[in-house]
Amino acid sequence: MKAQIALGMLAFLALIGVLVVVAIGEPERMAEVTRAFEARQIETGASLFEANCRPCHGPQGQGIQAVAPALNAPDLFDGSRLAAVGFGGTLPDYVRGVVAAGRPVPSAGTNYPQRMPAWGQEYGGPLRSDQVDALVAYVLNWEARALAGGGAPPTPSGPTVGADITVALPPGDAQRGKALSEGGLGCSGCHILAPVGPAWLASGTEPGIGTRAEQRFQAAGYSGKADSAEQYLFESVVAPNAYIEPGYQANIMPLNFADRLSSQDMADLIAYMLSLK
Amino acid sequence: MAIFRLHIPVLDQVKQKGLRPALKEKWVDVVTRVTAGLNPDDVRGVLRDDPPGRPNPRLTPHAEGFWLHMKPTYYHRMVDGFYPTFRLGWLSTFFGVFEIITGIFLMIYYTPSPLVAYENMLGLLSNVPFGQVMRDMHRLAAELMVIVVVLHMLRTFITGSYKKPRQFTWATGVVLLGVTLVLSFSGYLLPWDQLSLWAVTIGASMVEAIPPEVVGRNVNLLVRGAPEFGANGLLRFYLLHVVALPLAGIVAFGVHYYKVIHHGHSLPPEAEKVGEDTAKRVPMDSRVYFMPEILTRELWYVSALVAILFGAAAFLYNAPALEPHANPLVTPLHTTAPWYFLWLQGLLKVGDKVVWGLIVPGLLTGLLLVLPYLEVGPSRRYGDRRIGLSAGALSVAALAVLSYMGTPYYGVTTSPDQEAVAELLPQTHPGPLRSAPWEDLTLGSYEAAAWSSAPNATLQDLLHEFNTSLTTVLSPDRTDVAGVIVIEDWQADLKKVTLRVTWTNVADGSAGEFSESVYLHRDGRYGQGA
Ligand code: HEC
Ligand code: HEC
Ligand code: HEM
Repeated sequence: MKAQIALGMLAFLALIGVLVVVAIGEPERMAEVTRAFEARQIETGASLFEANCRPCHGPQGQGIQAVAPALNAPDLFDGSRLAAVGFGGTLPDYVRGVVAAGRPVPSAGTNYPQRMPAWGQEYGGPLRSDQVDALVAYVLNWEARALAGGGAPPTPSGPTVGADITVALPPGDAQRGKALSEGGLGCSGCHILAPVGPAWLASGTEPGIGTRAEQRFQAAGYSGKADSAEQYLFESVVAPNAYIEPGYQANIMPLNFADRLSSQDMADLIAYMLSLK
Repeated sequence: MAIFRLHIPVLDQVKQKGLRPALKEKWVDVVTRVTAGLNPDDVRGVLRDDPPGRPNPRLTPHAEGFWLHMKPTYYHRMVDGFYPTFRLGWLSTFFGVFEIITGIFLMIYYTPSPLVAYENMLGLLSNVPFGQVMRDMHRLAAELMVIVVVLHMLRTFITGSYKKPRQFTWATGVVLLGVTLVLSFSGYLLPWDQLSLWAVTIGASMVEAIPPEVVGRNVNLLVRGAPEFGANGLLRFYLLHVVALPLAGIVAFGVHYYKVIHHGHSLPPEAEKVGEDTAKRVPMDSRVYFMPEILTRELWYVSALVAILFGAAAFLYNAPALEPHANPLVTPLHTTAPWYFLWLQGLLKVGDKVVWGLIVPGLLTGLLLVLPYLEVGPSRRYGDRRIGLSAGALSVAALAVLSYMGTPYYGVTTSPDQEAVAELLPQTHPGPLRSAPWEDLTLGSYEAAAWSSAPNATLQDLLHEFNTSLTTVLSPDRTDVAGVIVIEDWQADLKKVTLRVTWTNVADGSAGEFSESVYLHRDGRYGQGA
């Protein structure tokens, strides 16, 4: 019995010891869990962005001209955009507000054909508030690189291709076209599989864009000026409204590619699209 | 005329007898009241293991006090050893109390609403001192309690203690078993992450199947509060977990323990003549008194167990890390019910949901409840109960097999390409890719087949594992199976990792592809708890 009393006391002291050890580690542990939690938020935000925001804001948030502004841009983080909009709060509040409630009315000086949708459930959107928080964490994580200048989309140098679809193009490189379409131009965000624009890849009975282009310019109801598959694709990019694919709306596809693409870019894109049978 | 008169008797005593004697007398009085009958000298005697006085003052607390009124004043020496109880009933009780205490701590930081429950859990882990260790302890003790209660049941079965006159003790025990399992199960839902939502959804999927359809639909509505788990379901499970079931358990335990004491702890089967029950007749020389021996032992057990559980929770055991927030729209691949219900999930794979998910488990539970009223053989001796004991052993084996069948390793049909990706990137736990050191995920694109030329050991291991699991994709229908892992720089401290499986369908020569991406942050800290 004496042994039991001694063991009981020892166990009690051991408990106190463990308690003290844990207590000493707690501040560090809590900080670490907080960091991990913020890290997971960014991870979650990244996949939500990929699923919901990429078609308009581009795969890396560089924005797509004439569709949606860049989020991965210095002016968002250095305060100039907040000042321009006249928002007095903090940047996280701004981003959270826009993402949750959307922009039912375009902000002054912009002329995007679509509105920024409301995403928060409290505003009728599809996302829970923790998901909106995750997106905010992800957008804000661009800060360092955006301020360092990494985020700005490359502006084309040299002459652009223009809107005349009869000009001769240099030989195209499908590989480079693929890279272009997946990069800052934002084509793949709307086209590869996403439901915003017509899918480029074959799916079900619908052939790929390459085959479609060969059939379309000869089909009844076609209202554009193209005489070949190449010209059809050329036209669809530089003058999307010349012919609207059935089931889609005008003015969703950016209207300014004529002024953004070089002849080489255009040729490469066409070569790539034609390869998708 | 005074409206009231303040009278402090001890002051009168001090006046009469002087300060020291009066205070001493008061002290004796207080101790005697608090211990319900032992004065300080008696307490000292208990601690020193002195022989008790006559009449034995150590019996008074059992007769006068609340806390010990059910505790026997003495036990038979033959049931006081490790055998035959293995202390399992005592341990069940200990874990029950331990769960109540740690549970109250957790309750303080928890709100049962889908809007904040998950956030509360994160807050508990990241912002409450001792929050994580409390969660770990609560979880660890819950799992241990299930094990201990089941073992306790097995031991009362094996020693034949369920037989006459203890049939009702057994039946109340079965109620306690049910309460313990459902308590554990209802707690599972509360963190409101993917793991909890889907494990509980699988466990609760049976009620929907109750025929006829009206009944099933309405019982399901009662349980989940809506066709699917949501705000109402979470609130219901919470209330079950913190109010209804603990209350039911405390009442059932009262009856159970009352019955145990009423009949006396059954002696080891070989110690009595067949058909006799002498548990209540304890000869003077076989008595082990509660005070001091058993009291001392129980106190030291409590302090040792608390220290062990605390140490284990702090340094060894982590409750399952929080998965992403519960999402009723996304079913993770391979979710399973909690392990103690895996046998049910296994039964469901045997056949029809109504027969195997409801009727069979229902019958088994009913059978367990009335077992002592059906199995009325008079002898408790092992040698006389070969059939009964074999049936028990067979049941345990059957449960083990069924539990195995409940796991994803048995009879789950998914496409092997998804399976191969899930090997590295499982949807129910972090898995090898997320747990890999972030720095080792060198940017680039790597072929699984060329795993040995990857730049470091981590990547080689991952690719090798990927390559091995790809062999399952190869089949008469699919050739040219290949896998790649693409690691891209995505944001500051954030990488995107894509696993892609490609193959050629033999039938029409077309290409097949399955890929999945994950974003990994430097501070993600997967596989380290929390
Ligand atoms: C339908 C296309 C579209 C989608 C999808 C979309 N946005 Fe937008 N977003 C816009 C447009 C257009 C604007 C500019 C609105 C304005 O200024 O009037 C905008 C503005 C923003 C802004 C404010 C930027 C600033 O400079 O003021 C943020 C932040 C933002 N979006 C985040 C997101 C996030 C996060 C998602 C995904 C959940 C998303 N957006 C999805 C079109 C879209
Ligand atoms: C914001 C989304 C969006 C972006 C970005 C976008 N498109 Fe489109 N695209 C559309 C929509 C919507 C249509 C259908 C309406 C139409 O025909 O104008 C379309 C139509 C087309 C068509 C005709 C489709 C067919 O099936 O006949 C082609 C070709 C095309 N886009 C190419 C491109 C290329 C190349 C890029 C990148 C340089 C691009 N698009 C970027 C939305 C987009
Ligand atoms: C929360 C769950 C339970 C608690 C807290 C509990 C508690 C106890 C305690 C303290 C004892 C006396 C000590 C001992 O025999 O180990 C006991 C005895 C007993 N229990 Fe339980 N019990 C529980 C569950 C069960 C279950 C599931 C069964 C069987 C289905 C059961 C059947 C019995 C029987 C038959 C006895 C009498 C044993 C004897 O007299 O030798 N109990 N229980």
